[in-house]
Formats: sequence, structure tokens, C-alpha cells
Amino acid sequence: MTEAPAPEFVIREYLREHLMPHFLCPGCGHGIALRALLWAVHELGITKDRLAIVSGIGCSGRIGAYVDANTFHVTHGRPLAFATGLKLARPDLEVVVITGDGDCLAIGGNHLIHACRRNLNITCMMLNNEVYGMTGGQVSPTTSNSRYTTTTPLGNFEPTFDACALAEGAGAGFVGREITLQTPALKNLLREGLAYPGFAFIEVISDCTEIYGRKNDLGNSAEMVLSQKAAARPDVYTNSVDRPFRPNQLRTGVLARKDRPEYAAARQRHLQSLGNVE
Amino acid sequence: MTTGTPKEVITAAALTAPSARAQERPTNVLIVGVGGQGVIMISKVIALLCERQDLDVKQSEVHGMSKRGGSVFSHLRFGQRVYSPTIPIGEADVLVALEWAEGLRWLPFLNPETGTFLADTQQLIPPFSCRSRKPGAVTNYARHTVAEVAGKVPNCFATDASRMAAELGNARAANTILLGMLSTALDFPEQEWLTVIEQLVPKKTIGANLRAFAAGRTWVEQHDPAAMHAEAPAVFPAAADLGDYVARSAPEINAAWCKGCEICVKFCPERCLFMNDRQVAELKDPDLCTRCRVCERLCPDFAITLHRLDA
Repeated sequence: MTEAPAPEFVIREYLREHLMPHFLCPGCGHGIALRALLWAVHELGITKDRLAIVSGIGCSGRIGAYVDANTFHVTHGRPLAFATGLKLARPDLEVVVITGDGDCLAIGGNHLIHACRRNLNITCMMLNNEVYGMTGGQVSPTTSNSRYTTTTPLGNFEPTFDACALAEGAGAGFVGREITLQTPALKNLLREGLAYPGFAFIEVISDCTEIYGRKNDLGNSAEMVLSQKAAARPDVYTNSVDRPFRPNQLRTGVLARKDRPEYAAARQRHLQSLGNVE
Repeated sequence: MTTGTPKEVITAAALTAPSARAQERPTNVLIVGVGGQGVIMISKVIALLCERQDLDVKQSEVHGMSKRGGSVFSHLRFGQRVYSPTIPIGEADVLVALEWAEGLRWLPFLNPETGTFLADTQQLIPPFSCRSRKPGAVTNYARHTVAEVAGKVPNCFATDASRMAAELGNARAANTILLGMLSTALDFPEQEWLTVIEQLVPKKTIGANLRAFAAGRTWVEQHDPAAMHAEAPAVFPAAADLGDYVARSAPEINAAWCKGCEICVKFCPERCLFMNDRQVAELKDPDLCTRCRVCERLCPDFAITLHRLDA
């Protein structure tokens, strides 16, 4: 090779090795998502000192603790609220929120819509495994129809949230969705989200094998990620011929990208209009 | 062929024709390639040229993707009178190959006594000739070198026309380089060739195509047939250019971190991992591993690493 080899992504350099192996169950997709996030961080050249990870409660909330960076493990549903304060106080930090479907959409749903509305420069990675895994497998706002959980022993009948549509509707500047099996695509999506100047909401379709998969007989983690792959329709396949035959597919890839004013810039402009320039 | 024909039947016109052979037997040109290279364009140029000379011309083609199992060829026959549009085996006067293995595939069609073989030595290795997924692995692509083939056909002109075209600034003009080479084998005035090319190629590329044509023509004119295959490009570029490939070790599995989810075992394309009796992933055979890194990327426990060997 003519040019010097790019610095190799070695995940151990980003982990608190004394805490490893992590607490996640065998086959949990959250680990793959964490790898993709750290890979994206590595490729963007964000140093560990500049990276701040804020995470809530739940399996997803715990994975932030394994990253050797500035990490906050905060109250249930509030990581976006903490991240907003952190980003306003320390705009030099690259703030990443790791949250789960219950944490983000149920307990923290209010914070999500307002974070999207404000469009502050934060990246929110929501790990969607369709269940409250850590607390014993209760139904969550994204649990699919007729799935069994400990609180829906006869099957779930509630309609589900489409988190990406919610974020887009609330005004998030960047919205994307990816499955864990497509790790390089997930890494690229997270990288794009991290580089986006504004609120980036990324939904990662993860798998809960031990609780959700077992209760619903969805097979082992390999079978679960393969069924995710079968359900996904990458947005790059904009084939209008294919669409009628696979109408209920889950769109993946970059779903929305808007040119909205970022919160800090909007604030600056407002202060200027008042003649109160910092 | 004319045995038994009384001499008196030969007309004055036949005697003044360029040659009796041309009148009786059409000239056969077979153009082959892998598709998308300009096989059809070459045949169009010759067909139009023949029409301008008031010759009878018939063309018959199959197009598709030969590298996926089909074939791309164009039979072109011209002369005073042409009946059949296809060339019988062993009757092609000129075989123009836009890809090396395709040229070899069609060699039986070349006239074994007088035929001329014009070939681009570029190799487009089809997926099904790759038996091993390891980087740099030997493929089943044809192994005949230019010199070997040149010894077996009456006239052989083989060069890396694709590289020549790329050096001239447009890699897609490789077919025009072969057209320039072909123009030395067929008896038409050079100006006629140029006129027809100008008429057929897109306006923006006329200059590039005329330069490519001239390059092909001069290549044949300036090369001594005896010496030219010594400098023919090596047909097998050893250890092909692997791009940004980085050599890596076989997967190292950290047994203390592995939780035995089997995701690496299930997704390994070479089936070179297995679960041992302690329910920990283990490498069965490092020689089977192609270093694709699927296991490393999908391991949720970060237990698998393929170390970079150059670092």
C-alpha cells in the first residue's frame, strides 16, 4: 500500500476491560450495536475524552458503562434530559445517548419529542428489542402484535409505536434505522448521525433472545437476527416493482434528513436579534 | 469447389473482381466478449462499412452476460453474396476477442490455416471460476499464455488493449483499439473506417475513439510478429492486486468473554468454528478461514479478534 494504513479499530481500546465480560445475555444484539457505535466513533476520530455517553435504565442503559469514556448512567427515561443539559453546558463534547425502547418511548417519551423538537446536536441510539428485558420481560411500546410477555400472557393487542416516524414527526433532523446483522451499514448510519449537526435519532433493531425470544419461541440469536434481516427492506432498494410484493417491510437506512436550524445556532441568532451577543 | 464447371461460364465481370475467392466465399469475422464491451459496436462498424462498399453483409448476435454462463458473440459475414448469417466451425477469417478467456473459448471457429486472432489480454475473472474465497487464491481461469496460443494459430495479435485505452484516457475505448487492429486485417481504406466510426460513436467520444483506432492500427504496424509476444503482458498477474486488503491472523477467541451464543458458528461462511464441550466457540481449522471477519463483527461479547499482521 502506498499510504499509511488507517489506524485499526480495536474495540478493547474503547472498553473498561476490568468490567468485561459484560452482563448481557448470550446472543444479545446490544453488544453488536455497541461495537458499531464505537467503530463509528473511531472512524470519526472522536477521542475518548471528547465522547460523552448518557444512558438510562435497562439493558441498553447498562452498556454505556462498559465504554472507557465520559459515561453517565442516569434515571429511567431521562437520558435525553441529562444529555440536553450536558450539551448546553459543554458544547465541545460529542454527546451520545444510548437508550432502549421502553426507556425512550414510554418513560422518556416526553423527553424524546422535545429533544427532537429542539434539534440539539445530540445523537440518540435507541436499541429496540421490543421488551423490558432487565425488569423481567414486561410489554413495551414496541412489542409486536400478539407477542407474549410477562404482562401480556394472552398476547399483546396494543398498537405499537413506530419510533422513527415519531421522531421524524416531532422534528428530528436525522432519522435512521438499521438491524444489528448489517454491522458495517449500522456503523455507517451511526457515523452519519454523529456527523449530523442536529438531533440524530437512530433506531437499532436488536434482539432479546433470553426473555422475549424464549417466551415467543423465536429461536436462538442467529435465527432472530435472520428473521430481522428478512423483515427489513433497506431504503436503498427503492425498487417500485418489488414494493407491492413485500408491503409490510421495515424500512432501514436513512429515513429522514432535514436541514433544520440546530438548537445552539438558533439560540445564538435569537440572542443576536435581542442585541445581547455573547 | 468449381470442379466440373465449364471454363466458358466464367464471365468477364468475374475475372475483373478483386479475387475469385471473395466472390465465392464470404469473409467471416467473429467478435466475442463478455458483454458491455462493444462487441455489437464493432460489428455495426464493419456492417456499415460493407454497406458503403456495396457488399452483401449479414450479422447475427447473441448478447447477454457470458460471465454468468451465457455467451456474447457476433457473427459477421460479408462478400458479394452471403446466404447464411452464421459462421461454421473453422471458417472464421478473423476472431476478435475483447476478453482473453472468451477468445480461447471461440478459437475452434478460427480458420486453422489462414485465420487471424486479435485479442485483448485483459482478464475478467468470472465468479464461478473462483473456487476458494481466500484472498489471492488460485482461480480456475484459463491458464494459456499469449505465446502458447500464438504458436497454435496462423496469425496472432494480442495486447492489453484495455490498459492501452485507459492510458489514452478512456478505458471504454478498448474495443476501438481492437477495431484499429482489425482494420489491418481487412481490406478497406483507412478513411472509410474513420468515417464510419465517427458516424457511430457518441459525439463526445469521437476524438477518444479516433485516437484509440489509430493506436490499435499503429500497434499492429509497428510490431514484429516474431518478437511481439515476448513483450506480451503476463496473462497471469501473480498475486492479483488485492486493493485495500490487509493480512490478518485467524480468529483469536477469548474464552473468558465468550458466552456461547453460537452466532459466530451459525454465520461463519466457511463453517470453520464450532462450540466445544464447554459451550465456548473454538476454531476448527485456521486454514479454512478466509478472514472475512463476520464472526468478529457479529460477536456480541467482543470475544473474537482477527489481529492485523502488518501492524
